Amino acid sequence: MTQGFLSKNPSVLWFLLVLGLFTLGVTVLSETAGVGLISTSFVKTLGKTLCLCLIAIAMDVVWGYCGILSLGHFAFFGIGGYAIGMWLMYARTEIIVIKSLNAAAIPPTPEEITDAVGQQIFGVVGSTDFPWLWAFSDSLFLQLLMVVLVPGLLALVFGWLAFRSRVTGVYLSILTQAMTLALALYLFQNDSGLRGNNGLSGLQNIPGFERTPQAVISLGFFWASALALALGYVLFAWVVSGKMGSVIRGIRDNESRVRFLGYHVETYKLFVFTLTAVISGIAGALYYPQAGIINPAEVAPIASIYLAVWVAIGGRGRLYGAVLGAAVVSLMSSWFTGGGAPNIPLGFYTIQWTDWWLVLLGFSFVAVTLFFPKGIGGLFDIIVRKGDQK
Amino acid sequence: MLRALFLAFALFLSMSGVQAQTQSPTEDLQTVLQRHAAEVANPGRLSVGALIADLVASRQPNVASFLERWQDKGVYQRTTDGLFFYAIRQGDAYALTNMTTGESAGTAPADVMTEIRPNGGVRRVIGAALVQFQLSDPDRARRVAALDAISRSPDADQIDPLRASIEGEPDPALKLRKERLAGHLRARFGKSTEDRIGAINELSSALDVETRSVLNLVLTTTSGVAPSVPEGTNVARILKVGTDINEAVAYNRLVDANLAPAPIPPAAVKAALTANITDGRVGGIPVGQLGNETNRSDAYDALATAGTVPPQVTPAIRTAALSSNVFYDAYTEPNPAVTDAARAALDEVEARVARYQIIDISMDALSLASIYFLAAIGLAITFGVMGVINMAHGEFIMMGAYTGYVVQLFIPDYTISLLVALPLAFAVTFGAGVAMERLVIRHLYHRPLETLLATFGISIALQQLAKNIFGTQARPLTSPSWLDGAWVINDVVQIANIRIAIFVLALIFLALILFVLKRTRLGLEVRSVTQNPGMAASMGINPDRINMLTFGLGSGIAGIAGVAIGLYAKVTSEMGSDYIVQSFMTVVVGGVGNVWGTLAGASLIGFLQKGIEFFNPSNTLAAQTYMILFIILFIQFRPKGIVALKGRAAGD
Repeated sequence: MTQGFLSKNPSVLWFLLVLGLFTLGVTVLSETAGVGLISTSFVKTLGKTLCLCLIAIAMDVVWGYCGILSLGHFAFFGIGGYAIGMWLMYARTEIIVIKSLNAAAIPPTPEEITDAVGQQIFGVVGSTDFPWLWAFSDSLFLQLLMVVLVPGLLALVFGWLAFRSRVTGVYLSILTQAMTLALALYLFQNDSGLRGNNGLSGLQNIPGFERTPQAVISLGFFWASALALALGYVLFAWVVSGKMGSVIRGIRDNESRVRFLGYHVETYKLFVFTLTAVISGIAGALYYPQAGIINPAEVAPIASIYLAVWVAIGGRGRLYGAVLGAAVVSLMSSWFTGGGAPNIPLGFYTIQWTDWWLVLLGFSFVAVTLFFPKGIGGLFDIIVRKGDQK
Repeated sequence: MLRALFLAFALFLSMSGVQAQTQSPTEDLQTVLQRHAAEVANPGRLSVGALIADLVASRQPNVASFLERWQDKGVYQRTTDGLFFYAIRQGDAYALTNMTTGESAGTAPADVMTEIRPNGGVRRVIGAALVQFQLSDPDRARRVAALDAISRSPDADQIDPLRASIEGEPDPALKLRKERLAGHLRARFGKSTEDRIGAINELSSALDVETRSVLNLVLTTTSGVAPSVPEGTNVARILKVGTDINEAVAYNRLVDANLAPAPIPPAAVKAALTANITDGRVGGIPVGQLGNETNRSDAYDALATAGTVPPQVTPAIRTAALSSNVFYDAYTEPNPAVTDAARAALDEVEARVARYQIIDISMDALSLASIYFLAAIGLAITFGVMGVINMAHGEFIMMGAYTGYVVQLFIPDYTISLLVALPLAFAVTFGAGVAMERLVIRHLYHRPLETLLATFGISIALQQLAKNIFGTQARPLTSPSWLDGAWVINDVVQIANIRIAIFVLALIFLALILFVLKRTRLGLEVRSVTQNPGMAASMGINPDRINMLTFGLGSGIAGIAGVAIGLYAKVTSEMGSDYIVQSFMTVVVGGVGNVWGTLAGASLIGFLQKGIEFFNPSNTLAAQTYMILFIILFIQFRPKGIVALKGRAAGD
């Protein structure tokens, strides 16, 4: 991250500046700072949106820059969420269990604690034993490692298999979709070891911060998400700039030609795929403590398609486009479906946005694809070009 | 004892059968009863047989109803003249019914009527005799009811009446059932070992669930444990601790059999420790140090030594107890010859059942494959032939299904409405497909990934529109009655008619599409545009028109598939998304651009899914997960699918 890198990419500085101002602004206006113009739940929504922006830039790098339309990146997001959720759920349940067991005359043995925690967590799927998946759930450090390692390894193995046998284009998209579907179906089983349909819940309660009000916790996560987004942005901006960036874009535009030029295309693709998967996992690990609950529906194929939708609407091939797309579409989505948008009476029929938002989104998406292939980000081109007049 | 009695009774029956030939059948019920008046009034279990045999021999039509009433304590004797009546108490008096004619015979004061109360043994004899009547009752429904009653609570007494009634059974189906039931009864309660083994051997050729359960009943085992296997036990198998039975279960069996002391569960240890805290210590160990198993155990041992609590079961005691006893499963049936025969018969039956199950699963798989084929064939045309990824394909399936539903709202006759719905669904989705091709896809032919996203936009919009119009709840698409029911080949192999119909429909479509693509002008033009649109255009073919028609054809077939799928599954706005991923995988696995490939892909996926379900029947989700994992791996090794196009046709 030299001076040269930043001076070559002025948009990175601009982005960091805007993000910083935004973070400060939200902090000042939040309930914690006393102004209270922005409610705690909205701070959470904004924090979640930042996480979605992070996975969106990951998606943009893998699709917009490298040309791999992955329809499975939300699987990595979900895995990250599950990994951190396991620790949150275990640690919090353990605190509660120890508190109740300490009321007895005799101090509890470690086995009793484990049994009681297992009973609490897995009672809902009719089991009391800890599955092997939870082997490290008592250690925050190991689970944080899992947030990075599991998506990374999965992407590495999957990508290695797929790229090695030259599965490209639409086939790869369908294959990644199959991957996330398989994961979702697996998680839906009650004996998956991750509480099946129920998912993991109560994640908004952070162990060790029981006395801290949610307003402060949510602001903390908001900052963490903003920081992660900033770091992720710089990282990806660095990855897609310079020679490596050129090769990656070359793969997108003409894979065979890059291969004939002597580059090992598969390695580059595998690197991008795995790196974006890891970042997606981190985004998920930040997202779900703010959402409070994760269940298998989160990794259903539709989620990953929406991710592609955000990136396409925001504008592929530019990182801030992905951020814009994710922020605009997800915030509008919660505005429309949350009843924020006014209904439109047509006399004979009233358009209720909770029912019609998806119709609008679907058709506007078609319109964007047809008429504005550059997405919202394309608007910046017009402004910049007018300013430069090169 | 009972068996001896029964033998006597059966003897009587056969003798009376001979007598009946000679006796005049005009003797009425009351006369017969009067001949045995003392016996009727005060029947004895051993002597009542003669009376019943006489009654049966009288061949009066109302004997059966008399026996029923007698058994139910509804028969009374008038002490004044000794005549028998059916009577119902009304206040102080009884309303009498003449048992010969069934007409009212006035009333009688309570003090002249004596209720006849046959004891339990007699009632059982009467019941057995009644079965004989019911089994030969002219009313078929009553015979069926009697058979149902027997199979509900089978009993040794029923064997002879049942076998006696087989001869005269006019209904062949019922006769078969009687024979089968008699076989079941003989296998379980037969009088001699030879008889039972004979019956069991006959059962080995059967297939039905009832036979299997009879054999299993003969083979019922109880678990036992003893220092050594007791004399005369028919041992099914000896259990080895650790492999056949885990230690905890084995030890519990020992405790239940009073062969070992009961272990003290951790909760009880804890309770005992809690109850014996003195001065902040238990057994000399401070309470604060009781947070681990070792210290707790030591503290408990100290208490046990002091005699306040029973001692713990140490691992040494446990191991000794486990090794000095034999764990076994024993048959409740004491005769090893019978159980061996039953085991052999059951093995044979189960082997046959397994063979038929494979056929059954194959038929299920075939029907699943035809559903996948129907869902995917339209996609194979648009995706395979044109290279267009239509994410809204699933929604075309849904549109077809809703078309079928709407047609049924207007045409109440399900057969006609189905005949209308099929072409109409084709027309509706053909139109939708053409409109989509003209408005959207045409502009995106050179950008396949964006087609995917644009059609996804259409897909979510259509799905939400359907939800807004038809609501979120599932709508019925009722199949005509001739499609209800199933084709039952035997007790194991059966297939629903609707699935056969879908299979036939899939075959028709396979033939139709092959015909259109290979034998018609349109097919030729489609194939030429697929291979080289520029060259095709210079030959005078309009690629735009061909693309539009091809897309419409693919979408139209999706609509028809929607009607077919809606007939057996529910119609919801989300039904399309249930099939879209599967359909894509079918096309990709089979090999793009080839109808045969789609067929191969659908068969592979259908058989695979059913096969995995067969090994793990309780878990469809797991089956689907494994199947998808298999497909992901499969594509790694055959990226172009099963039927890969070669040469110029492969394009790229």
